[in-house]
Amino acid sequence: MNPISNPDTPKVSATEIQRLIAGELSLPSRLGHTFLLLVSLGMTGVIGTLWLTEPSLPARTQIAFALMVTIGLSWVAYAVWVLTRRRVLLAGHRIIAARMAVTFSALFAAGFAILGVWGPSSRVGFSAATFGLLMLAVAIGLLMHARKQFARLLERRQVLEVKLARRAG
Amino acid sequence: MQPESDRNGFEARGREALEDELLVTRCQIGEASAFDELIGRWHTPLWKYARRVTGNDDAAAETVQEVWLRILRGIVRLREPGRFRPWMFGIARRVMMDRLRSAYAAPVVESIDLSTIPEPQDSRDLELEISNLHEELARLPVIEREVLVLFYLQELTLNEIADVLAIPAGTVKSRLFRARHLLREQLTTKGTKR
Repeated sequence: MNPISNPDTPKVSATEIQRLIAGELSLPSRLGHTFLLLVSLGMTGVIGTLWLTEPSLPARTQIAFALMVTIGLSWVAYAVWVLTRRRVLLAGHRIIAARMAVTFSALFAAGFAILGVWGPSSRVGFSAATFGLLMLAVAIGLLMHARKQFARLLERRQVLEVKLARRAG
Repeated sequence: MQPESDRNGFEARGREALEDELLVTRCQIGEASAFDELIGRWHTPLWKYARRVTGNDDAAAETVQEVWLRILRGIVRLREPGRFRPWMFGIARRVMMDRLRSAYAAPVVESIDLSTIPEPQDSRDLELEISNLHEELARLPVIEREVLVLFYLQELTLNEIADVLAIPAGTVKSRLFRARHLLREQLTTKGTKR
């Protein structure tokens, strides 16, 4: 008996695969993980700043801060893994994610700078604001890189379309 | 002088590579419709490869779904979009390798004097015959089966197959030689039995 009855007809249709991929491509999931990355990075930064800038903390508090920083970094690592391996950011998504990062970092830095000026602990406020500025610098770098990559791909697409049109003509 | 059919075939391959490159570039940009087109274009060849190598519908179905997910997740890192075809079959092969690891554990490549191996292009007329011999193909060991499928049915070049299988082109030739030999042997035995 022939074990292969009709090997050329896919048992899973192209439409089913297209549906599967469309689900995987969903933008909310990507932006959700981008948001998770930004928030966990920000919170880890604030807790780390408190830990490093507060003098003579009790051992129990230091352990608590260390635990919170570890948890925060775990969330950062998880979000980075999802965004680079599972819900991968394509060129268009990267621009959106980088814009989110710029906005979040700017608000973060401004908020803590205000706390530094008018809040109860200027040292903590300004340290966290410095961390926010660092995040902002990285976010701007990512945005510039994403835009450059997007423009390069658009240019390549145009070149290929012209080449194919010439061949067809 | 290059024969007309060869030139046309070469041009068609060049156009296909350009079309692939354009689709992959659009996917890298993030156009959802480009993924639909890419799937429409490559789903059936991918299925045929997976179906023939795995030998059953269920395994092939799981393989192609996993392959498309890996394509989606890895396409942004594909530096040469024009080389999509060997890249895609390479992913398919790795997925099947994971599934068929035990089958691959058996030693299959014997030492063969490469100088005695004829150029595979000389035997292209076998292609039509193979398409009608699914049953015999399915009975071949998996390594021999996949190299025949890639060369004759998917029409990959020796170098592209070397990329897919992550082996030197010389080893591809030796596997092709052995696969053809085994297939011929099976067909002869079948013919004798009749």
